[in-house]
Amino acid sequence: MKLFQVRKGQFVYYKNELHRVYTVKPVYKKSVHLVRLRDLTQHLCSAAEVDRYQPKEGDSFIFNHNVFTLNKDRKAQEGDYILITNPDPDYLDHYSLNEIEVVDTVENKGVITNNSNGIRHHEYLLMVPGRTENSNPIEFRDVNHSEENNVNESVPSFDIFLPSIGDVYKKKDEASSFESMVVAIKGNIIFLGGGLEIIEEELLDSTKWEFLYNILDQ
Amino acid sequence: MEKFKEKSVLIISLALTLIFILWGIFFTDNLAKVTNIIYTGSIDYLGWVYIGTTFFFVIFSIYLLFSKYGHIRLGKPTDKPDFNTASWLAMLFGAGMGIGIVYWGVAEPVTHYTKPPYGEGYTIDAANTAMTYTFFHWGLHPWAIYTVIGLALAFFQYNKRLPASISSVFYPILKDRINGPIGKTIDILSVFATVFGIATSLGLGALQVTAGMHTIFNAPDTLMVQIIVIIVATVIFLISVNTGLERGIQYLSNSAMIISFAILLLILILGPTLTIVKVFFNTTGLYLNNFIQMSLRLRPFGEGEWIAAWTLFYWAWWIAWAPFVGMFIARISRGRTVKEFVIGVLIVPTIGTCLWMSIFGGAALDLVVHNNNHDLATYISENVSLAIFTFFDQLPLSTFLGILGFALVAIYYITVADTATFVLGMLSEGGTLNPSNKIKMTWGVIQSAVAAVLLISGGLEVLQTASIAAALPFAFIMLVMSYSLLKGFNGELEIQRRKKRVKET
Repeated sequence: MKLFQVRKGQFVYYKNELHRVYTVKPVYKKSVHLVRLRDLTQHLCSAAEVDRYQPKEGDSFIFNHNVFTLNKDRKAQEGDYILITNPDPDYLDHYSLNEIEVVDTVENKGVITNNSNGIRHHEYLLMVPGRTENSNPIEFRDVNHSEENNVNESVPSFDIFLPSIGDVYKKKDEASSFESMVVAIKGNIIFLGGGLEIIEEELLDSTKWEFLYNILDQ
Repeated sequence: MEKFKEKSVLIISLALTLIFILWGIFFTDNLAKVTNIIYTGSIDYLGWVYIGTTFFFVIFSIYLLFSKYGHIRLGKPTDKPDFNTASWLAMLFGAGMGIGIVYWGVAEPVTHYTKPPYGEGYTIDAANTAMTYTFFHWGLHPWAIYTVIGLALAFFQYNKRLPASISSVFYPILKDRINGPIGKTIDILSVFATVFGIATSLGLGALQVTAGMHTIFNAPDTLMVQIIVIIVATVIFLISVNTGLERGIQYLSNSAMIISFAILLLILILGPTLTIVKVFFNTTGLYLNNFIQMSLRLRPFGEGEWIAAWTLFYWAWWIAWAPFVGMFIARISRGRTVKEFVIGVLIVPTIGTCLWMSIFGGAALDLVVHNNNHDLATYISENVSLAIFTFFDQLPLSTFLGILGFALVAIYYITVADTATFVLGMLSEGGTLNPSNKIKMTWGVIQSAVAAVLLISGGLEVLQTASIAAALPFAFIMLVMSYSLLKGFNGELEIQRRKKRVKET
């Protein structure tokens, strides 16, 4: 018998993709409310449809169209993303399990996030941009272990992460602020507003470009 | 030397508090004598300071509500509130509720009824005066104090990106000197005031937990048991800090809110509902009508003891509590505008506390006035710590209410002790949001020791006089804080105007 112990904050696989439970509403038929990490869209389901996953160091996943790898050894810096895997909130803190926050200031004992939460260094894993070598991609469940759910046919390909018309990207450049929209795609060449042409790999490199939103989602 | 500079606030405030504790342990009589001298001095010389400053905070808060600063957002202009309005208001109300409101809910109106500030005791007029003064002590004044400090802390933390310490609030006046001796002195005084404000609450809590155990389990109601209660609570708190049970404290504080509302509803239903409703409306009218006269009332040609024992004690206690409550209010109010903040912090909780006092005080006064039960009124006023349990005894479901009341006081005691150590850790470590466990535990032991020393030196009276003395410097600090806040707001408006001009060009 499967016990449905779904809790707020847990990482779960739903339809073979990584989601985070943002709330559980026991009286609803679809009681588990999820946010898909790769594009932050909302999904509702029941507890029987999800499988829990506990993120650990070395895992890599896509969060809001950007790839990150979880790291414990590197020191957090201002502007870094962190995943709170071991929450121990104080009286004035307001965060829960697997919350993703941005570092505002770094102190000796911990970091202060842009939500004014004081988080000690042992409470989080740093989300390093990009997929490091030997990392363990977790955005999809391991297909080999999923016969009971028959998800083989529903494994999405990485095509879904390719840029599409209407995507707005921001160039990661200290000197200037440059935001541009994908206006045309020809093979693996992407045409951006402002007359810029770049290859797909460069645009998907999260150290150079940051995905902001797609205008069709607005 | 560099390390001492860094930790000077912590070291000096700890040293001052330790000196006080040792003084209380080894020279108990002397401490009682000195606090008595301070008490008398406060009546004769310092009463007007508390009366004047607190009234000023009410005027200042109302001014801010209608001022040109009303649209300034606490945080970035794009920031959205962290909490929806309903939970925000519930949390604000929860911040102001605590041991005090449970302790005094019945005791204060009944004591005023037996010994009113003016006129004859045990009369209908005395009952009305009792309720009016209870509203006065728990109404706009405390919340105005919290409004000023909460707003200042939030503004300088979120808009000026300064650390969450009291000295940050003085940046427009002191600039970088907030990191120097003046800033450190401000932080030391705020820690000192907070320690005594919290110790007063813990002292009251220990008195009431002991009274509850006496009522429910027949335990002896003695000083020894009160000290044991403090020691047990301290041990529980130390275990919770060290074992990661801190999260349990948050659940506890939520359950305290639920129990409070359950008791409130039960008394409203089981008690004289119609009288309670009438008391609320009638007292609100009397309170608004006599507001200015009560706010500025001193007795230049007579004895001022009643004012010192009640009004001055409350104003001092609220001021001593201010850094503690202000920190919490600032934390939950990011993304609100100044106007929303003032309405939320000044008006709504005032109505909440007045409702609470109407239900408890109205029901208790109904018992003693309608039945001409003078003996009961005298008993309650002479056994203040037992007041709420004596009151429950007169109602149906008395045992159930007694157990609920006892659980509520015990939970409030633990949560206040725990959360206070976090705030003290923050204040004494330069506004860090990550105070270390070692420092939290140190403050936990220290504040319990202060509460115990005050109880040994003379119980409730010494608790009251000590908070009057410790809060006085902080009253002046808060006055300057108001000026600093205005300066900060004007600077913010100037920045906004400049941005607008740049956009237009």
